[in-house]
Amino acid sequence: MSGLRLTEGSRGLAASVAVEGAPLTRTQVPYVTGSSVLGMKCADGVVIACDTMASYGTLARFKSLSRMHQVSPNCILGVGGDYSDFQQLQTMVDAEMTAQYVANDGLTLSPKAIHSFLARHMYHRRCKVDPLWNTVIVAGFDKGEGVLSLVDLFGTAFSSDVLATGFGLHLGLPLLRNAHRPDITVAEAKGVLEDILKVLFYRDARTNDVVQLASVTAAGVEIGKMTKLKTEWGYKSFVEGARVGDDSSW
Amino acid sequence: MTSIGTGYDLSTTTYSPDGRVFQIEYAQKAIENSGTAIGVSCKDGVVMAVEKVVVSKMLVPGTMRRAHLVDHHSGVVISGLISDGRQLATRARDECSSYKSVYDSPIPGHVLAERLANFAHVYTLYAYVRPFGCAALLGAHDDINGYQLYLVEPSGVSYRYFGAAVGKGKQAAKTALEKLDFKTLTCREAVKELAKIIVDVHDETKDKLYELEMCWVCEESKNKSQLVPQDLVDEARKAAEAAQDDDSDMDDDE
Amino acid sequence: MDALGLLRPGASVSGLPAAHTPGAATGFALGDHAGRAQAAPAAEPGVVASTASGPLQRRFQPYQNNGGTVLAVAGKGFCVVASDTRLGLGYSIPSRKVSRILKMTDKVVLASSGMQADMLTLHKTLRMRLVQYQQTHQKHMSLTAASQMLSNMLYTRRFFPYYTFNVLGGIDENGEGWAYGYDAIGSHEKVSAVCSGTGQTLIQPVLDNQIEFKQQWGAPKVDLSLEATVELIRDAFTSAGERDIYTGDFVEICKITKDGVDVEEFQLKLD
Repeated sequence: MSGLRLTEGSRGLAASVAVEGAPLTRTQVPYVTGSSVLGMKCADGVVIACDTMASYGTLARFKSLSRMHQVSPNCILGVGGDYSDFQQLQTMVDAEMTAQYVANDGLTLSPKAIHSFLARHMYHRRCKVDPLWNTVIVAGFDKGEGVLSLVDLFGTAFSSDVLATGFGLHLGLPLLRNAHRPDITVAEAKGVLEDILKVLFYRDARTNDVVQLASVTAAGVEIGKMTKLKTEWGYKSFVEGARVGDDSSW
Repeated sequence: MTSIGTGYDLSTTTYSPDGRVFQIEYAQKAIENSGTAIGVSCKDGVVMAVEKVVVSKMLVPGTMRRAHLVDHHSGVVISGLISDGRQLATRARDECSSYKSVYDSPIPGHVLAERLANFAHVYTLYAYVRPFGCAALLGAHDDINGYQLYLVEPSGVSYRYFGAAVGKGKQAAKTALEKLDFKTLTCREAVKELAKIIVDVHDETKDKLYELEMCWVCEESKNKSQLVPQDLVDEARKAAEAAQDDDSDMDDDE
Repeated sequence: MDALGLLRPGASVSGLPAAHTPGAATGFALGDHAGRAQAAPAAEPGVVASTASGPLQRRFQPYQNNGGTVLAVAGKGFCVVASDTRLGLGYSIPSRKVSRILKMTDKVVLASSGMQADMLTLHKTLRMRLVQYQQTHQKHMSLTAASQMLSNMLYTRRFFPYYTFNVLGGIDENGEGWAYGYDAIGSHEKVSAVCSGTGQTLIQPVLDNQIEFKQQWGAPKVDLSLEATVELIRDAFTSAGERDIYTGDFVEICKITKDGVDVEEFQLKLD
């Protein structure tokens, strides 16, 4: 824009201002939060999965919110953490993609570039001690290969064959590592991810049983419909519960 | 104008005794020195074309663009000073992005036109700036008003048109545009018509080389702003030039 | 709240009653990574309650420890720089293969442990500075120049440090191998062997003993060959991986000689 400020700036949204002595008014803590995101790289693409709940503390506040966002024809995000920060992230990424579109120079951002863009932004925000409270999984398909990367609120950024965030980091990642093979297919991986979501639903109190799976392959992005998991509550240990002298954890 | 300006033409902050602001009129003169830009709003879209005079044959084709996309649903073409035009395009992009961030929906054409006009108008109010030396044809689509064509001028006015022309050949271009039936004209046809008009009003004796840049928002482009595919533009221009040659042959016969 | 705290009913934040904000009650949020290693009792990781008087204020803690062990050992005409590839977070291992090594030139290699986000940023900035140097001076940066530049870059963040612990190794202008050890804010020392990171306390004494012949009174000081050095490094990492939960998975061993950098990968336990 011009150096002259003749007119009211069209950008410049109100920045968070710290008044001396007063408590800080930035996101110091997440409010409405999404739980795990899972991801697996396959021979023919990438699959990510998440449930559709957004909690307000311990309250199951929203029960059918999508935590996925398509960025480009070959790249999607799966996001956990603060939901409003996720929405801001969406706005920001979309604005960047629009800037790319209007430049009309034949260039597009690759999934790798989108991952880097997010990582730099997240790191920048953590350096301002005003983070976007999210863990983002970037899934893409580029040059005949799947891309699966992660960024968190500190700007930690890396790629891996299997990824899990939130509670999924504890319960899901070991299962993902067991199930992963370099030649696993997208179709097979979807089954694995659905099973893990079931495990998470049974044990993570911030996860619900309405889930969404998405894949990125050579054919492009496919974000699936929200589907209800088929669950089984008749397991013996579920029904009988913990018994004295038994180290069953239920 | 007996003697130009007579001292009232140095600043936009002073009217002449007969109520004119000469700097704005001079800005319009700057546009009249520039390649012609025309646009039509027709049945299934809005199409804009501009004659980009090429200052050196060593320039790489496509450089110093006069047609700019400003959002997914809107684009501008510029007649006048290229760099002033780029400023306007950049502002248009900022307005689009700002509107989107506030309302989470694409900016409607009339709002964008009004905001651009306001932006241009501000540069007619202060002594330390000069008005824009360019006019912008703005093409846009929104769900309520459909396809729209606006012309934003340095004075700060913007009007909506079916057909508009600015620049060197605007008089001849307007005359040609008036013959079109905008209700039935399709964008595919409009590309040819616009190419024909640009080719016809182009002054071969003054500017030899020129590029034809075209931008549209139409059904064919799924209501997205696009530079018209180069093969379409080339084809339309070739046809227009061939037709012109035929005409001049006939003239010779007479 | 950490994973353990979550399972403990009535866990409070830093001994204070649970705050009234819903966030305070958020059992498990996604950013909950920081500081679990330090096992602050039941505090929501990444957040602490201020102890100052006045309104209860919970602040984001911008640091995180991803662990990792890095070392550099110099020898006659060579230097070896090595690092494991585990990315740790509390009691979890988000990834087993994240490189901590930056090949700065054909003769200089850097390895950084600590916080991965800071490491990434430091490496990115260094890479940029190396290109600038190469283009303005028309030559590659020397080991000594690189060691000073790294120190300067760390010191620019003196009051908001990069949480990284660096070792730099390579061959200098005279063809001699050297190692440099750093603290987070740029203090550095030119040595023949150094280890940093979560396995520092386990490995540094071994290097002191085996490379510098410390505590080997009267024993003749012999220079280890490249092969013997690499063998020592493998053993050192294997041992550290045995006791340090942040060290494991794989080791990247960079052998720097006058012919360039040769990287070998060595498997550690995946536990």
